[in-house]
Amino acid sequence: MDTGESVRITLRSIRAHKLRSALTVIGVVIGIASVITFATFGASVEAEIVGDIETSNAGNIYVFGTPADDDDFDRTLQPVFTEYDIQQLERIAGVEAVLPRGIVQTQSIQHGDQTLARQQVTATRPASFTQNVLVEGRSFEADEEAVVVNERMAGSFSENLTAGERLTMTMPDGSERNVTVVGVVNGTRGEVPVSEFARQPRVYVPIDPFYDSVVESPSAGVRQRAYPQVTLVVDPRAIPETQSAIQTYLSGESDARSLSADDTELVARSGNDFVEEISDVIERITRFVTGIAVIALVVGAIGIANVMLVSVTERTREIGIMKAVGARNRDVMQVFLVEAALLGTLGSLLGVPLGLLVGYGATRYAEVTFSLAPLWMALAVGVGVLVGVVAGLYPAWRAARVDPIDALRYE
Amino acid sequence: MSESANTTVRVDGVSKQYDLGGTVMALDDVSLDLSAGSYTAVMGPSGSGKSTLLNLIGGLDTPSSGRVVVNGQDVSAASEAERADIRGTEVGFVFQTFNLMPRLSAVENVALPLVFDGWDRDRRRERAASLLSEVGLADRTDHVPSELSGGQRQRVAIARALSTDPALILADEPTGNVDTDTGAQILDLFDDLHAAGNTFLLVTHERHVAERAERIVHVEDGHIQSIEDVSGGQH
Repeated sequence: MDTGESVRITLRSIRAHKLRSALTVIGVVIGIASVITFATFGASVEAEIVGDIETSNAGNIYVFGTPADDDDFDRTLQPVFTEYDIQQLERIAGVEAVLPRGIVQTQSIQHGDQTLARQQVTATRPASFTQNVLVEGRSFEADEEAVVVNERMAGSFSENLTAGERLTMTMPDGSERNVTVVGVVNGTRGEVPVSEFARQPRVYVPIDPFYDSVVESPSAGVRQRAYPQVTLVVDPRAIPETQSAIQTYLSGESDARSLSADDTELVARSGNDFVEEISDVIERITRFVTGIAVIALVVGAIGIANVMLVSVTERTREIGIMKAVGARNRDVMQVFLVEAALLGTLGSLLGVPLGLLVGYGATRYAEVTFSLAPLWMALAVGVGVLVGVVAGLYPAWRAARVDPIDALRYE
Repeated sequence: MSESANTTVRVDGVSKQYDLGGTVMALDDVSLDLSAGSYTAVMGPSGSGKSTLLNLIGGLDTPSSGRVVVNGQDVSAASEAERADIRGTEVGFVFQTFNLMPRLSAVENVALPLVFDGWDRDRRRERAASLLSEVGLADRTDHVPSELSGGQRQRVAIARALSTDPALILADEPTGNVDTDTGAQILDLFDDLHAAGNTFLLVTHERHVAERAERIVHVEDGHIQSIEDVSGGQH
């Protein structure tokens, strides 16, 4: 039998039971809309985070130690990368810059009559500040008594800090150091990508004369500065090769290897690795939440199956008539499957825009850029139709098996 | 018995038994031929087996034993799908309760057998509309059954029975649900259609209805008691 005719018969039947059909469709709408909402929201969050990292950090490789026990965060920050290691890393082909980072503890930082307690100060090289990140002023020189602050830090004082102003840093031993702010930045080159999303107020100082964490280098045989973290800026065209060369050095005869505990793994991770890791986490969360939304869809499917069973019973006589005038079992099945599929399709067609709307609202609320998940949308519509068909299969099969003689007698 | 070309229906030694907590013999070794263009009535009290006979000839049911051949096709050996095709193309049913699809218009009801016979939409509509005007309902094509009188509904059902130009029209108490005048009009319509060459098998328990046929087959307790020739007995 041609599909047009079964659609026509179905539409009449749906129209004859408007309320019942509408309620069934609503069940599917809720299911599809929830799936779409969570999927789009997840995709939007992911796109936002990943997009940011990709634009700024593709060519960075981050070097740090991860203890076997992930919770032991202090050991991650052991100063194990010596000056000797840094020199060796600089020699690897493809490495454009090596940016060590050390932590300088302070009791407080004062500006005018305002004091901020326990501020963490990062010691790094002038190369960390490119024109791209400088908002005003300049970078410090390698051995200058000067600091660079980020915008959050500049905004932490009642009057915004600007280049040329002076800060007083109180060191853990109580001594004070007066420094000049020479520049304000909105980030640093080689920053760990995740820090962009929870940017803390930061003060950056030159390694010399502020940073003095020293260890004895096993290779050089002398005491020299060592850092807990190093970022390498590498040639973006040769990231994989450079990354593996760095990893080989770290795992081999580096000072960091000798200085770290045996169960600490030294890793060289690219910006892309971070992107993948973060995407992976977000995707897993999205999948989990969307999975829960699928339950709503299953409930919608049960609604369709239920209404179709009622419909088959109510239309027993019609089934008998159709069979008496030449309908084969599969024609009868088709009529009922089309009805179920139509309810499912209608549900997804209404559910997709609703889901997008709610998803859009959620992204606005979470202040992330809205992005579509076209695959999920196509999937949702497909699943809606499928849900209808699957839910309609058993009722349609029951309909097809109706004995025409009994059906024609049915009141 | 030879199967001549003008035999539309051959019922050959057909039995039908039902298991209703004990075997019930609805038909017991019944044989009956209907020649092309004939008009036969089957009479008998309720439970005599006349409806079973009609269901077997119409392909709605299969015999327990024996053979039913309609227009050269062995209904008793046909698969379920084949019987559906036979019901659609070789047989036209007219029921006591009309059995129209409640949400389809008159023209769509008439066209329904053509849907299952694979006709395209325009040809279906054209055929159905011409049949409706043949039964005098040209102005009711787009009405649904609930907007039609009992007599009009039965006319729609008759037009539907004619739609695939079947070899045989099976009518089960076609006047049972309409008043006497309307019933007479329906029987007049049957006479006209019979005169036009259609083969009729009519099941009834009313003598005056059966007398419109050429012969009356009397059925009782699953047996054919007698075949009465009333040819020429029409008014």
